[in-house]
Amino acid sequence: MDIELGYYLALSALIFGLGAIGFLVRRNVLVQLMSIELMLNSVNLMLVAFNRFLPDNHAGQLFAFFVIAVAAAEAAVGLAIVISMFRLKKTVHSDRADILRH
Amino acid sequence: MYQKALLGIVLFPLIGAIANGVFGRKAGRNVVHAVAVLSVACSFALALYAFGSLLHLRYGQGEEAASITYTAYEWFSLSLNHRTLSIPVRFVMDSLSGVMTLVVTGIGLLIHIYSTGYMSEEPSYARFFAYLNLFTASMLILILGSSLPVMFVGWEGVGVCSYLLIGFWYENPNYAAAGRKAFVANRIGDFGVILGMFLLATAANSLEFTDINELAHVRPTQFTSALALGPQGAPFWVIPSISLATAATLFLFLGCTGKSAQLPLYVWLPDAMAGPTPVSALIHAATMVTSGIYLVCRLSPVFALAPATMAVMAIIGAVTALMAASVGLVQNDIKKILAYSTVSQLGFMFAAVGCGAFAAGFMHVYTHAFFKACLFLGAGSVMHAVGAHGDADIRTLGGLRKYMPLTNVTFLVSCLAIAGVPLFSGFFSKDEILVGVLSSAGYFSFAPWLAPTVFGMLVLGATMTAFYMFRLYFLTFSGEFRGGPVHETHAPAAGAHGDHGDHEDERHDHDAAHDHDHGHAHHEPHESPPSMTIPLIVLGVGAVFAGYVWIGIVHFEPWVKWLEPSLGSIHAEHGHATPYIAMAFGLLAAVVGIGLAFQFYYKGSEVPAKLATQFGGLHRLLMDKWRVDELYDATVLAGSRGLARLCAAFDKYVVDGILTHVSSQAVASLSFLFTRFQTGLVHAYGAVMAVGLFFVAFHFVVPHADPAVVGDPTGLSVELAANQGLGYEYRWDFDADGRFDTEWSNDSKAEHAFSDADIVRFAVVFEGAGYGARPRTLVVAPKQEIKVSSGALTRIMTRGELSLDELGESWQRGEDAAAPLIKADEQGLLIKPRGARVRKAGAVQPADAEVRVSRGEHVSIGEARLSVSGYVKPRVQVRNAFGMERTESVGVVVPKVPPRITAEIAAVQGSK
Repeated sequence: MDIELGYYLALSALIFGLGAIGFLVRRNVLVQLMSIELMLNSVNLMLVAFNRFLPDNHAGQLFAFFVIAVAAAEAAVGLAIVISMFRLKKTVHSDRADILRH
Repeated sequence: MYQKALLGIVLFPLIGAIANGVFGRKAGRNVVHAVAVLSVACSFALALYAFGSLLHLRYGQGEEAASITYTAYEWFSLSLNHRTLSIPVRFVMDSLSGVMTLVVTGIGLLIHIYSTGYMSEEPSYARFFAYLNLFTASMLILILGSSLPVMFVGWEGVGVCSYLLIGFWYENPNYAAAGRKAFVANRIGDFGVILGMFLLATAANSLEFTDINELAHVRPTQFTSALALGPQGAPFWVIPSISLATAATLFLFLGCTGKSAQLPLYVWLPDAMAGPTPVSALIHAATMVTSGIYLVCRLSPVFALAPATMAVMAIIGAVTALMAASVGLVQNDIKKILAYSTVSQLGFMFAAVGCGAFAAGFMHVYTHAFFKACLFLGAGSVMHAVGAHGDADIRTLGGLRKYMPLTNVTFLVSCLAIAGVPLFSGFFSKDEILVGVLSSAGYFSFAPWLAPTVFGMLVLGATMTAFYMFRLYFLTFSGEFRGGPVHETHAPAAGAHGDHGDHEDERHDHDAAHDHDHGHAHHEPHESPPSMTIPLIVLGVGAVFAGYVWIGIVHFEPWVKWLEPSLGSIHAEHGHATPYIAMAFGLLAAVVGIGLAFQFYYKGSEVPAKLATQFGGLHRLLMDKWRVDELYDATVLAGSRGLARLCAAFDKYVVDGILTHVSSQAVASLSFLFTRFQTGLVHAYGAVMAVGLFFVAFHFVVPHADPAVVGDPTGLSVELAANQGLGYEYRWDFDADGRFDTEWSNDSKAEHAFSDADIVRFAVVFEGAGYGARPRTLVVAPKQEIKVSSGALTRIMTRGELSLDELGESWQRGEDAAAPLIKADEQGLLIKPRGARVRKAGAVQPADAEVRVSRGEHVSIGEARLSVSGYVKPRVQVRNAFGMERTESVGVVVPKVPPRITAEIAAVQGSK
């Protein structure tokens, strides 16, 4: 059963939009990190879908692996920052992390 | 060999100054004054040696214009009138500078010796001698410098040393102020020297005195031509017609009024007596203040070419002589009288050189140096004897003849000399000045009254001089001692401006040493030590005999002959009786002056007191020195203070108030605005980023055609290309009629051969005059006109018009200045040349012809080239994968016109 490229792209855009909106509206840093993961994975989905329909090479799939690797590193650093922030502020509310403003 | 002596003359005092200035504080007094005196002594010895060589060259080898030149190195060079003008550090000793060098080093040496006695208790002993040596070196540079810039170094150097020595006791604010006053007054004059120097440089292409003087002899028109100060034909009170020589010499004379204390800048010299007395003798009487006369003599050939300047000098000199002498009549402080006497004598000298009697003026410089230095040193000796340290009031002196015989004799001799008593040196020079003034009547043909007036004023001045000098002498040395300066009462008697306020505090050591019985009201005066009396005796001898060295029977032939090669001359002639008339008046002046003083002050008449009460107003005016200081205070100083206040207010309210405040407020409010964006909230930043990314993405999604011409086609067939993009499709509308000529296709390129029917507008390629002008293309539709007008080029260009300037200078064919009419119709351009020179195919077209320029043709208007091509504007519509469409167009010139140079090269090659 063939699913057209457009459906993949639409799904990818939907997930990316959910991630972006989640990142913008939620204040919990953990949830924001999860939103970023959503966006990254939507991009992964788009990359492998393009690769599926343009199978000249495996650039899309290869790139998806890069993104996964970067996402893992990002999650590690991000969670470390969250832990530090919790130790400092006793909260994971992103609005409270505004000392750079001053 | 003797050339190198010139360098030594300058260098020895300089080395002495550096040695004493740097190491003097550590060295003992004996070392300090040994270094100082020896350096000047070496300089004097070398000066004698060089002068002897000069005499040998002149009389032994018969070189008429003998001079000794030493070039040290090239100082700098500059480009002037397309020529390189080199300024070397060069010293020249000729007959003029030779005499002056001897005077400066000789009298300088005596005063250095005198100072070892006079300043013996001074704490800043080394500083004093360092300054004095530095002054000597600067003065020698001034005298020996071969060019105006080198002289100017010395000129400024003596000004600095004068400032330093006047304010030597700078702890006293009045003395420091006197130093500043001298410095500022000199600065005003220096600006004149600089301007005069520039003017002479432009005329003579050289700054060397010899070159300038030579040129003034050989080609006087170089200097006497009028300066172009503005448009010709303007009335003279708007643009005065003034020759270069007059302007330059007036500027130089301004410098001389500053340095040589003439009206209106003389005010600093009386105050300069705040300095130690040897300084007053050396700098402010014998040497530095005469450098103005020296400069005039140095450039006398140029001055002689400017009768207006000469007249100004003569009048200012005479007025200064008279005015300063009148002040001297009533003053009571020794040094004050001598100061005004110096100003007055300098006035005599300027009156002389102003009347063209350069040799006479310079002779007075020479004799005056002896007797005035002697007078000042005598005054110093008197003050030393009675323990007065700012100045001594002559009303408290008297009878000093008994106590200090040597000082008495030398002072008397100098008084006789300055009064012009026959057989004393002053008589000869004063007589010579009077003769010179009378002889100049022919030179001042435009003002016949001038010479007699100046003569009369000088005779009156000489009478006053004789009077006040003997008033000073009798009050000081004859009669009974009246108790000397009681310091408590002396202070209030000091000058009106406090410039002679007492300075016991800082001279305490001095006091203690010389005022052994300070507490006694009637302290016994005593003769000064030999270090002070020996210079007095030498100078006294000079005051008598200095004149004899040069005299003839009634005229100073040897002196004039000696200086002749160095000086300029004016056409002066006098009758046979003139020297006797002058001598008679000179004698009369001396006899009347001395006689009156004898009557009033030796015999003790009541007349002076009566006169003072009878003419109370005049007496007070003279006591207050004509209130010139007050006048300057109320005018110039008040004006500049007002200006300073205005500037301060401007700074406070405009710069600090408006500019600083407003701009800081602007920055503050802007930063306040921007900090609102700086929320520190991660999600706010994220939102902004998301919005921005949306717009960037939108730009990439919308199709962009950007059509352009491919290659460089010259014919009607043109290949066009549009942007490529993902899923783009194109269709073209070549003739821009609104209907697309092709179907949608994936090919981004298209080729089209335009037909004449497609071409409805014209591209007019215009290349302005000169090959450098960049061509520009004006697009015109039929019936549209291209305006040709004058005015600012940028504005004309932005309006798509042509400027008359672009047509080159010779676009007009005659007197008719009508601009050509350029209009488009269906076939091309129609040009009506009118006043313009329009060429088509090499032939100039008549004024009222209608010149047709079709497509592919060109004409020239003036020097500009104008060619006509077709202009089309094809459109392309592009559609992307999302079905979004966009239409863009591109202007194409068909056929493309080759630029002028290419076209002309092609034409030349075609013709071969």
